[in-house]
Amino acid sequence: MIEIKNIRKVFNAGKTNEFAAIDGVSLQVDSDRITVFKGPSGSGKTTLLSILGCMVRPTSGRIEVNGREITSLPEQFLAEIRRSGFGFIFQQYNLIRGMTALENVMIPSYPTGERRSSLKKRAVELLDLFNVSHKAGSRVEELSGGEAQRVTIARALMNNPRFVIADEPTAHLDTKLSREFMDIMLGLKTEGKTILIASHDPVVCDSIAVDRLVGMRDGRITTVDDRR
Amino acid sequence: MAGRRSSIFAVYLLIHLCILALLWAHAQPGQSRARPDLELKRQMVGSLGLTDLCLFTEARYTRHPAMADSNAPFQDHPMSFDHFPSGSIVTVPEHLRYESGKP
Amino acid sequence: MTFIQKQRNILDVALCSLLRRKGKNLSLVVAYVFVIFLLSSVMFITDALKREASFVLKDTPEMVVQRLVAGRHELVPTAYAKVIGKIKGVQSVSARLWGYYYDATNGANYTLIVHQDLITSPGSIMVGRGVARHLSAGENGTIPFKACDGSYLFLEIRSVLPSESELVSADLVLMSELDFRRLFQMPEGYATDLVLRVRNVRELSTIAAKVVQLLPDTRPVSRDEILRTYDAVFSWRSGLVIVIFAGALCAFLILAWDKATGLSAEEKREIGLLKAVGWETSDVLLMKFWEGMAVSLVSFLTGIILAYLHIFFTSASLFEPALKGWSVLYPDFRLTPFIDGQHAATLFFLTVVPYTAATIVPSWRTATMDPDSVMRS
Repeated sequence: MIEIKNIRKVFNAGKTNEFAAIDGVSLQVDSDRITVFKGPSGSGKTTLLSILGCMVRPTSGRIEVNGREITSLPEQFLAEIRRSGFGFIFQQYNLIRGMTALENVMIPSYPTGERRSSLKKRAVELLDLFNVSHKAGSRVEELSGGEAQRVTIARALMNNPRFVIADEPTAHLDTKLSREFMDIMLGLKTEGKTILIASHDPVVCDSIAVDRLVGMRDGRITTVDDRR
Repeated sequence: MAGRRSSIFAVYLLIHLCILALLWAHAQPGQSRARPDLELKRQMVGSLGLTDLCLFTEARYTRHPAMADSNAPFQDHPMSFDHFPSGSIVTVPEHLRYESGKP
Repeated sequence: MTFIQKQRNILDVALCSLLRRKGKNLSLVVAYVFVIFLLSSVMFITDALKREASFVLKDTPEMVVQRLVAGRHELVPTAYAKVIGKIKGVQSVSARLWGYYYDATNGANYTLIVHQDLITSPGSIMVGRGVARHLSAGENGTIPFKACDGSYLFLEIRSVLPSESELVSADLVLMSELDFRRLFQMPEGYATDLVLRVRNVRELSTIAAKVVQLLPDTRPVSRDEILRTYDAVFSWRSGLVIVIFAGALCAFLILAWDKATGLSAEEKREIGLLKAVGWETSDVLLMKFWEGMAVSLVSFLTGIILAYLHIFFTSASLFEPALKGWSVLYPDFRLTPFIDGQHAATLFFLTVVPYTAATIVPSWRTATMDPDSVMRS
C-alpha cells in the first residue's frame, strides 16, 4: 500500500516560470488493485507516477510505502526500494539498443551481483510468460512494437516487485495489442501485484480490469471513481 | 557463457598482458645477450678515449655534445643557428648550462 | 563472487554502450593508441639510449682538458701536459689528436682519431662501419683525403671496425699521427686536447680547479659531466619529437575531452533508465568507470606493445628521419631492449587515470539527477 499526503511538486522554484506540477494531492493506493490516472497531458499524471515510484522527491508532503516513510531516505535506499519494490513500464519502452531482449530484461538485476545463470533462467521464464522467448537472443532494434512492449513488461517484473507502474503504456499500440496489455495487467493483479497506470486511452480507462479511475487536471485530483 | 562481451574483453586484455610479459621477458635476456656487444663498445670507448655516442654526425656539437663549448652552435656557419632536427633533440650539455665560472 | 559477478554484469553494459557508438569510439581508440605508441616509443628509445650511454661511456677518459681562445677550441701545446702532470693526484697525461674531416664529394663528416697502438704504420687507416658503407669501400680499399694544401693523401683501409660497435664508431677514421699532421699541417708540439687519468676519482673537482688555476685558458671536462650530458640529452621534455607529438596530443585531448565530457542525449536517457530500474548512482558511475577503463586499457596495452616492436624490432624506423637530421652518416644500430618499469607505470598513470576520470566526472551530475527524466522523453 502506498499513501501520499498533501504532495506538492514545484518545478523551477523561485524563477519566473515556476509552476506546480502536483499541487496538494493526497491519495491512498490499495494493494492488489489496478489504479488508473486519467487526464490530459500536463495534468501531472506522469509526475505523480514518478513520485509514487520513488523516482523523484516531492517538494513537500509525505509518502509512505507499506507504512514506511520514504521522503527522508537517502538516495541509495530509494534506489534499493525502486529495484526491489517497483517495476516500470515506459511509454517509449526505453529498451537499451545494442543489447538483446534477454539482456534488457536482466538489467535491473545486474547490480545485485546474482549469478548470471540464475538471472538468465528467471529472464527466460518471464519472456516465456509473455510469449516472446523466441526473441530472447534478438537485439531490441529488431523487435516489433508489441514484442518490445512485452519485453518491457518482462523487465519490469524481473525483480518480482510488489508494484508495477506504467506510463502511457498503450500509446504506441493498436487496439488489439492494447487489450492484450490490459489482459496481462489483469493477470498480474490476480498474482498479487499492485498496478498504477497513467493513461488517457479509452481502452485502458474503460477496461473492466480497472478497479479505480482517478481523474486529474492541473496537478490536482478532480474525480475518484471506485468501480468496486 | 562464451560470447559474453565481458569475457571477450577479459580475453583481449589477457592476451595483451601476455604479449607484454613476453616482451618483458624478451628484454631481460636481451640485456645479457647484448652484453658482449656492450663490452666491445665499452672497450673501444676506453681504448680510443671516446667521449660520445655517434648519433648525429652533422655538426661537432651534435657529434660530440660532451666536448661542446658554449659557442659551438653558432660557429659552424654564420647562418646556422641550429642543426635541425638533431639540435632540438640534443640539448646544451648540463655543465655548460649550470656551472658558472667556466667558459 | 558476488562482487565479480556484479563487475562483469556492469562491464557488459558498459561495453555494449561503447559498441553502440562504434565509429566514434573506434576513432578515439585509434587516436589513443597512436598517442600511447608515440609517447612510449620516445620513452623506450630514450631509456635504451641513456642506459646504453651510461654503460658504454663508463670507460671514457676521466678528464679532458681543452684550450679555448676567443671562445673557440684551440690546439693545446703539449707542454701543458707537463704542467698538469705535476698536479698532485694526476696519474698520467696524454695528448690526443683528433678532429673532423668534411668529405666534400660525399657530403659526410668523419671523425678522425690518431691511435698509435692500432695504426703503427703511416698510410693505413681503420674505418667505422658507417664510413665503409657510405663509401662502399672494404678492406684494402683506398680513401683519398684532401689535405689542407690541396694535395691528396691516399690512405689504405687496413680493417673495418666491427658492426656491433657502430653506435660509438660509425664515423671514425683511425690513422697515424704522421698522416694526421700532414693532412691538417698541424705543427709539432701541439695536440687537440689532453686526457688525464687520476688516482682517485673523488679528487676530480679539486684537480679540475687546479688545472684552471695553473692554466687559465683551459677548460676541463670531467667524466661525470660527460655522463650527465647523456642523461640530459635525451631527457623526456626535450626535443622535436615531443614537439611534433604535442600536436597529436592536443588533438587527442580535444577528441577525448569532447567524447568524455559531452554526454549525448542518448547516454543521459540511458543513465536515467538504469536509475529508474533500480541502479544506484554508484552503479552508474561504476559503469562509466568501466567504459573509461575499457577504452584506455585497450589503447594503452596495444600502444605500448606496438612501441616496443617499433623501437627494438624495427630499430625505431619511424624516428629515423628525425634522428638522422642532416647527417649523411648514420649508425645502423640495434638498441639493447630495455623496459623501465617505473617509466611505463608513469605513462600508465598519466594516460589511463586522467582519461577514466574524464569519463566518470561528467556523468556524475547526470547520475545524481532524479531518474524521472526518462519518463519525460
